[in-house]
Amino acid sequence: MAAVTEGRLSTQVGKVQVFRGGPADGPPVVYLHSAQGETPGLLFLETLADWAGVVAPVFPGFGESEGIDEIDDIEDAVFHLLDVFDSLGLESPAVVGLSLGGWLAAEIATRYPERVGRLVLVNPAGLYIEGHPIKEIFGRQLDELALELFADQSHPVAALMHQMASLSMSTLSGEVPFDLLRPIIQSQAATAKLGWDPYLHNPKLRKRLYRVTAPTLVVHGAVDGLIPRAHAEAYAQDIAGARLVDVDGAAHMLPLEKPDELSAIVREFVAG
Amino acid sequence: MRFFSFHLMPYPSLPPDYDGPAWVTCPNEFFDPAVGHEVYNRYLDELVYAEELGFDGVCVNEHHQNAYGIMPSPNLMGSILARQTKRVKIAIVGNALPLYDPPTRVAEEFAMIDNISGGRLIAGFVVGGGPEYYSFSMNPAHARERFAEAHEIIMRAWTEPGPFEYIGKHYKLRYVNSWPRPFQQPHPEVWIPGAGSLETMEFVAKHRYAYMGIPYFHISVFDRTFRMFREACEREGYEYDPLQAGWLEPIYVAETDEQARQEYEEHFWYFVKRLLPGINISPPGYTSIRSIENILKGAGTFAINLQTWDEVVEGQYAIVGSPETVAEKLTESLRRLGTGNLLGLFQLGTLPAHLTRKNLELFATEVMPKLRKEFPEGARVLGDQAAVA
Repeated sequence: MAAVTEGRLSTQVGKVQVFRGGPADGPPVVYLHSAQGETPGLLFLETLADWAGVVAPVFPGFGESEGIDEIDDIEDAVFHLLDVFDSLGLESPAVVGLSLGGWLAAEIATRYPERVGRLVLVNPAGLYIEGHPIKEIFGRQLDELALELFADQSHPVAALMHQMASLSMSTLSGEVPFDLLRPIIQSQAATAKLGWDPYLHNPKLRKRLYRVTAPTLVVHGAVDGLIPRAHAEAYAQDIAGARLVDVDGAAHMLPLEKPDELSAIVREFVAG
Repeated sequence: MRFFSFHLMPYPSLPPDYDGPAWVTCPNEFFDPAVGHEVYNRYLDELVYAEELGFDGVCVNEHHQNAYGIMPSPNLMGSILARQTKRVKIAIVGNALPLYDPPTRVAEEFAMIDNISGGRLIAGFVVGGGPEYYSFSMNPAHARERFAEAHEIIMRAWTEPGPFEYIGKHYKLRYVNSWPRPFQQPHPEVWIPGAGSLETMEFVAKHRYAYMGIPYFHISVFDRTFRMFREACEREGYEYDPLQAGWLEPIYVAETDEQARQEYEEHFWYFVKRLLPGINISPPGYTSIRSIENILKGAGTFAINLQTWDEVVEGQYAIVGSPETVAEKLTESLRRLGTGNLLGLFQLGTLPAHLTRKNLELFATEVMPKLRKEFPEGARVLGDQAAVA
């Protein structure tokens, strides 16, 4: 696996973290993280960096990235990410997004289709599908959430969530090691700015999906307990030529659960 | 010292086998309109009775979609009280400003109550509890900004000649021109309840409003809270006035200590175990990181964690006993906390009407006179500062 290193990028809203790695002549692949803020130390990025020029920006409000106070809605989010693309000379990269990151990728691809060369939506949020609600992510007990996010509860991150279950995300009670809690509180607050109301979707997104010109792959974790398959189906149906693949033995946090498999899927798709 | 009777208007009849939260998702099939009819009228009677007994004021507050306090509109209650009382202050603590859109609605309704009551309104402004942001699907990440804008709109609507234009981030109002204007000029006394958030204290100190400490924590948390508030006032360059602080406390007085506990305890536990669960939801972005850190310092002592009556007594989660015991404990704590307003919760949980009335009577006749003597209005309340630390 290739090294991925952290850098800082000055943007209009503040300094943000960007993780980069991989061969200079590899195809550029941008990774947009989910509401969990997974990026630092993400194995999947190192696997991608074996063959791709990986760029993984950490969204304002997550990790150590500044600027969430300047971002109120999805439109602000899209402009921020375009600024990041521009600063890094990314004209039309492949964009891989998980969940919240998939939603953001789809927003860029509908508004500025020329800026997305290939689109990979992994368990994407962003749509409202009647009868198939996205489960609640705000204020949940971490152990309950882990059951929906991971197929295998012995995954290290799932195990950590179970360990932290005594510390409630929703209620400020108990003796809480604050350093453990802080990143979760910050990630949730940043996510709430984009996805509290309407809940993790943009009512206008679906009717704009026809605008996507990038070849598109939708990846669904077969046992995702958070976002029902109907969402992946809707994306695949409304984006011209899009393909839907299911990954067995994976739930919502697919890039953490199946890094090698997802990397291989993305590689084949980007090369194709 | 000013004495207020505060009513939460709890729903007293949750099914015995229900052990879920009393907030946001508590099924409203549990609400029996026959009970509603009875308790709304009873609770209003209890507030009106406080005036007869010589209290200085009554307090109501706002909560939504819950069994803890079935008062989604305290302004309705305040307007009834404006007609049914003649002398007491009517403290509405408060209106959850971000839930009123446009917030000029608060300026209007408060001014109506102030006019009807002849200037007896105390205007309370709150951000709204964490659960309300779920119940309204309102973005908690915008709560503080909306509160700040709404506050500015209301205060300007009361104090500046209208019409004027207000263009903020969340509210864009081309014609602010509140009719009626408040009876009290330039505006009613303003109270802000808080749970220990530093931002709230600094806001209150800056505007020279009054800070009401939200209860259900160990008494030591109030020591710290009011000390932080006094320091916030000092940082604003002035010494705080005791009337700028209020202590909200469940109180029960009976003939003897034993009788008080015996009559009160089960009703207190209904409140703690059935009505509090769910109140402490803190939605993302609702509170800043530095405030969360401060609130967490007291969180372990939140009443929801109480197990034994000894803990209740030791931490003064409620002050319960004979008139002598209650007067003694209140005197000691009021002197230490330095608050010039005592907001008593004389009805809590399932406490029935006859015990609530007896409690109010004993407090008014046997405790209040002693405290009035200890703490003459306008006099310094705070004792030895060093003892507070």
